[in-house]
Amino acid sequence: MNRLDVDPAVLLESEERRQLRTVLRDLFAESCGPEEVRKQVESARGHDQALWARLAGEIGVHGLALPEEYGGGGYTFAELAVALEEAGRVLCPAPLLSTVVLAGHALLGSGDRRACERWLPGIASGAVTATVAGFVQAADVTAERGPDGWVLRGEADFVPDGEGADLLLVVARAPDGERLFACEPVPPHGTHGSTCDRTARRVLDPTRRQALVRFRGTPAEPVGEPGQVSGIVDAVLGAGRVALAAEHVGGSAHALDATLEYVSQRTQFGRAIGSFQAVKHRLADLLVELEGARSASAYASACLAEWTPELPVAASAAAVACTGAYRLATTEYVQLHGGIGFTWEHPAHLYVRRARADEALFGTADDHRLRLAGLLGLTGTSG
Amino acid sequence: MSDIPEPEEFRAEARRWLAGTAERRAARQDWGSGDDSVAVFENWTETEERAHTDRIRDWERTRYDQGWGALDWPPEYGGRELPSYYEQLYRTEEAAFDVPRRTEVFPVTQQLVAPAIRIWGTDEQKARWLRPMLRTDELACQLFSETEAGSDLAAVRTRAVREGDGWRLRGHKVWTSGARVATWGVAVCRTDPDVPKHAGITVFLVRMDAPGVTVRPIRQMTGGSSFNEVYLDDVFVPDADRLGPVGQGWRVTLTVLAAERLDSGSLGLDNADRALHLARRLPRPLTGGERQQAADLFVRTLVQRLIGLRVTAAVAAGREPGAEASVGKLHATATMRATTDLVQQLLGPRLAADTGEWGTFAWTEHLLGAPGYRIAGGSDEIQRTILAERVLGLPKEPKGAVS
Repeated sequence: MNRLDVDPAVLLESEERRQLRTVLRDLFAESCGPEEVRKQVESARGHDQALWARLAGEIGVHGLALPEEYGGGGYTFAELAVALEEAGRVLCPAPLLSTVVLAGHALLGSGDRRACERWLPGIASGAVTATVAGFVQAADVTAERGPDGWVLRGEADFVPDGEGADLLLVVARAPDGERLFACEPVPPHGTHGSTCDRTARRVLDPTRRQALVRFRGTPAEPVGEPGQVSGIVDAVLGAGRVALAAEHVGGSAHALDATLEYVSQRTQFGRAIGSFQAVKHRLADLLVELEGARSASAYASACLAEWTPELPVAASAAAVACTGAYRLATTEYVQLHGGIGFTWEHPAHLYVRRARADEALFGTADDHRLRLAGLLGLTGTSG
Repeated sequence: MSDIPEPEEFRAEARRWLAGTAERRAARQDWGSGDDSVAVFENWTETEERAHTDRIRDWERTRYDQGWGALDWPPEYGGRELPSYYEQLYRTEEAAFDVPRRTEVFPVTQQLVAPAIRIWGTDEQKARWLRPMLRTDELACQLFSETEAGSDLAAVRTRAVREGDGWRLRGHKVWTSGARVATWGVAVCRTDPDVPKHAGITVFLVRMDAPGVTVRPIRQMTGGSSFNEVYLDDVFVPDADRLGPVGQGWRVTLTVLAAERLDSGSLGLDNADRALHLARRLPRPLTGGERQQAADLFVRTLVQRLIGLRVTAAVAAGREPGAEASVGKLHATATMRATTDLVQQLLGPRLAADTGEWGTFAWTEHLLGAPGYRIAGGSDEIQRTILAERVLGLPKEPKGAVS
């Protein structure tokens, strides 16, 4: 079981993906630099809606991994992973993870054709933002059948992009067991008379918002069949982990590149600080971690693209490798920039915030190690 | 070229040939019995080393004679001129069969020395040396390090002085594996002490049975001997056995070292797999911390394999591998250390005292051998400097007072 039977070619970036990467890197350089990111996160919606529309429309990022019948491009997760990596590189605050990965996979995973036809084209075109509740962190939401259809009551916390999303996919307890529901809380911002209050949490990572969502008789529609929830949750978490791993590779690569540039031009004691072995060796170690993370992420994306049986192991292994690399990369990003790296104005802290806040999303590296030990039987025997 | 088989076709062909030639390796059901050695460096007497070498050589000759050796070499050297990653494809298949595990002198001869001869050798030398080395009729060891020239290899002091139609070599080499069984030694020597150190070096191939060559085993920290010191006391080497131009020996040496760095991708994986198996089979439930530690080692092995596959994929696609090709050795030595740490935790006192139980105290060989690989073949520190300067492009270390 320690043998690895994978076609090496899937780990290699295709020419098509390389072109996609170039296009995205140019677009982000032009409209999502460090200054723009700060402006975007201070805006009401927390991201740049013009950029969102360009990503969806011009480049087709949102639909990359969605089937063509639902308005997608019919590519695979491996292409979407390129976009996530580039978005992670610049800390793009657009809700790609919540909308395209989490909500997208919840709908696809439900196998509910009607729900897919209704919402996925909007997700693909960028017209709809969406998120999930009760998947990542347990929520306390019940669903009951009212005179005008299903309504939700209860609350879900730590909902990614929960304040602004147009569509919420919620795991709720229905009389016949747990079930997935979709609701479109209108108006979006908890105005008087709304049945859904959404309170933005103060967050460690301002580029990825979270909200407490209270359902007070919110109208909702069931998605998929009862009894399907655990499978859908698995699919969403699997996709989320692999997506996050790709983002982390991008963020780590940025941290390494920015640090290399800085230590090459910053001089102390009459020489570039990058010529000191104490600095060099730390960056060499970071490169080793980054290449490991890149490999684990590529493998997990390939597994997710084909939904292979290795996906659970590959996703957790990528989570371990990529959160580890991102932790190290952001630590060195600050440390090797010295005083300037500790200032508010320097972007390094935004990456520290992203790296640490993300670990709370789908599990810390240690959580994933425990999960792997279970999956692989690394548990000893009862004696 | 049209006669290059598709990788899948090639692997199937290799499986068929192996099935007709070798025994399939027994599945892992033999846990608890059989050989429990996890030695990183073998500890053999000279007689044992010769016997093992003969066994490996028999297999290598069979491969070569039946068209399964020297795969990426041209037909004139007995090869099939396949892309170089076909060797890895072949090895993936071979791993399932019970064939002798190659000791270091074999890859040194076939993967390091023979390619350097192909690049630097004269036509006469290629005709004389390449086929016998690829078939392992001749085995070559590296006469590189000296007591005063370790990481700073270009500081070698072994002298080679012209004498008639040859050279007289005098010096002392250390850390040579396979010196007892090798027929040739590749010696890095100083031919001109009056020019900057990198410019005064020349490489020679020395007959290991030449008068004046003395081999003495070094006892390493495991208690056993895998390396030797080699004394060259006025050894005569004909000029026909000089490899590369006089004074160009540093470039010849770098050719060998570069190949060595790229050849370390699978280092430590076998023992890591075995430690993971121990984590599965230990007769008690693992604590949470132990599970995390074991899973972390698993991730390391997976990542190490994936890095190797990325290199293979790049080469197969005709691309120059990127940074992934250079991080392998540092990753591998960290895997070896993590293996020791896990086993230490799982075995507790049974690693410190030998109870005679299968698969327990045997791990001391790994514990004591693993540190050697952080030093051999370019220490971890040298690897980091190479990564920082050549891959990341950081400024070079200013030269020290002595250069």
